[in-house]
Amino acid sequence: MALKGFTRNFKPLETLTEEKVEAIHRGTLEVLWVTGVMVEHERALKLFEKNGCKVNYDEMRVRIPPALVEECICKAPSSFHAKARDCKNSLMVGNNTLYFGAAPGTQTVDLDTWKPRVATRKENYDSITVLDALPTVHFFSPYTPYFGFEGVPPCMAMLESLASRIRNSTKFQCVGFSNDSEIFAIKMAQAVGMEILGTCAWAPPLTVYRDAVESTFRFVEAGLPIRIISGQAMGATAPATIAGGIVINNAEVIAGLVLAQLIKPGTRVLVKDFSSPMNMSTGAPAFGSIEACLHNAASNQIFQKYGVPIDNATCYPNSKMPDYQCGYEKTSRVLIAGLSGANTLLLHGSVHGELTYHTIQAILDDDLAGMIGRFMEGITVNDETLAIDLIEEVGPIPGHFLNKEHTRKWWRLEQFVPKAADRLTYPEWMDTGKKSCLDYARERMEEILATNKPTPLTPSQEGDVERILEEARKYYEERGLISEEEMATYREGMKSPNYPYE
Amino acid sequence: MSGEVLENLRKAIIEYDSAGAASWARKAVQEKIDPIKALDTMTAAIKQVGDGFARGELWLPDLVGAADAMTSATPIIEEEIKRRGAKRESLGTVVIGTVYGDIHTIGKTMVATLLTADGFVVNDLGINVTAENFVEGVKRYRPDILAMSALMTMTAPEQKKVIATLKKEGLRDKVKIMVGGGAITQEFADSIGADGYDPTAPGAVKLARRLIGK
Repeated sequence: MALKGFTRNFKPLETLTEEKVEAIHRGTLEVLWVTGVMVEHERALKLFEKNGCKVNYDEMRVRIPPALVEECICKAPSSFHAKARDCKNSLMVGNNTLYFGAAPGTQTVDLDTWKPRVATRKENYDSITVLDALPTVHFFSPYTPYFGFEGVPPCMAMLESLASRIRNSTKFQCVGFSNDSEIFAIKMAQAVGMEILGTCAWAPPLTVYRDAVESTFRFVEAGLPIRIISGQAMGATAPATIAGGIVINNAEVIAGLVLAQLIKPGTRVLVKDFSSPMNMSTGAPAFGSIEACLHNAASNQIFQKYGVPIDNATCYPNSKMPDYQCGYEKTSRVLIAGLSGANTLLLHGSVHGELTYHTIQAILDDDLAGMIGRFMEGITVNDETLAIDLIEEVGPIPGHFLNKEHTRKWWRLEQFVPKAADRLTYPEWMDTGKKSCLDYARERMEEILATNKPTPLTPSQEGDVERILEEARKYYEERGLISEEEMATYREGMKSPNYPYE
Repeated sequence: MSGEVLENLRKAIIEYDSAGAASWARKAVQEKIDPIKALDTMTAAIKQVGDGFARGELWLPDLVGAADAMTSATPIIEEEIKRRGAKRESLGTVVIGTVYGDIHTIGKTMVATLLTADGFVVNDLGINVTAENFVEGVKRYRPDILAMSALMTMTAPEQKKVIATLKKEGLRDKVKIMVGGGAITQEFADSIGADGYDPTAPGAVKLARRLIGK
């Protein structure tokens, strides 16, 4: 049976009236038919044309008729199974289930100086060991925890990341694409007998480049599920209005959904809502903003109507450290995503935007996910939980409930106990070194690293993974994407007695 | 009359009116107004917007709006300067662009605008600029500074390629190179042999002045 995740046991939060949902849907259909999208891929253009779209080959512009859009939305499954390396970690994506994934960072960060730096191979593998042990990490997003690590040429980062995640965790894995990396990612997954969630990334506004379309063909034709993403900045690559931002994001991800369904009807699709307003003083995305939450909530409502699973992208904070700001930025995103019906969400570990990741943060995020997940589970109401007979038995003071079997049974089921939060009394806190949640998270990290032994690949699987990595290295070397100098450093690292782990 | 035309040209820029700026620039040419004076007026206007941005009173949409208005008027005035054979005093000349494979325009435009506001003559090559086109730009405009932007880790190495191509063409020593963008760090800038790096747009202006000793 698939991993349970968190179940929302009440109606989802609705921020739009039915009229507003309809207006956004009609707007999306109009954009797809009148403005259309740019698809930089000859084979895809022909496929769109064959299925009734208007195609202008000179402009690579596709105009999709509303009937085809609605037909393809219906063909995408409303829930789907995605097989992990260990079947008990497989996902059943959709409906009222929320799964959390680890979030990536380009680099690690020094917790004293707050200076980012490239992670070492060992830090990458250790971070995965911790994520493997955290109960609220249900899957890994692409290039988690790090976009790359020391000694690995940039074009191999995506595949080395996947290999490290497959080696150190049996949880479900997502992958991206870069310079044909998906060819080797698919082989690696097949060698280990697991599925991966591929990626089709749009370039807003309304554009998808050749490599993204090519990788979509490869993932879908391999029978794998695919996530469709368009990371917009409202006010820059999308209208500044949230409604306009939703319409254009919808148009982009739905055009991707249509393509996936035309390649192979019934393809499992997870659309992503990765939208933030642009910070109008720096030009960077305002990841941690409340407007991103509004965008998420509305998109969740719309995709529930469509019956297509939705991801609420990454809870990246704008804060640079795990502080008060980081806490409220992440909590707003997680709580609103959970209440409004997101099916997946990337959370654990990102310290600042896409720049930094740290295991300490991932452990703090495990508590946050646990708290919100507990809220989503809601309140169990039955004769036993109403406890009318028990209340009658205990009565007024001096009666109490602490010594009751009902309490012993139910408090554990009802209360979520965070593992890294400070919940001591004030004197206890003073006497035990005034520890903060960061201190507790560090202790938990050390404990996990000492005790969690991820299930290793079988020797034959390990041989396959390394062989496929080697195939990729040669592929990129032949194409001039790895310099001799980079390759020499890379090969030197492979001589380590503890390769591939450090 | 000259005062009124220049005032309207100035207003068009600070009110982000591209069509108006182009039209008042054409009017200035028709009225035989000194084009150097017109360009100075425009530079003062963009400086006013740049200063407002630096003080946190104006925002990126304002900066980009003013830059667009300036861009629509500049070629008209520059054409007239060329026709008259006049010479414009400037702090220095900059060629700027976002490297090949990278279509991020905002950071590059911020730097280009603030450099213009500070008195540099900026030739913006746009986005997705190949190494060959950067070299072409250097040959054509003979700038004091070449400025390159890259937002993505995957496109940052393209800056190294541009520098290598300039070396091959014997042009590396003729121009100062500054780099920036989300994917760039001081260490990276040093490793590829750039002359300078700054993480912010206002910082890039100070860096440009430092590089040319002004």
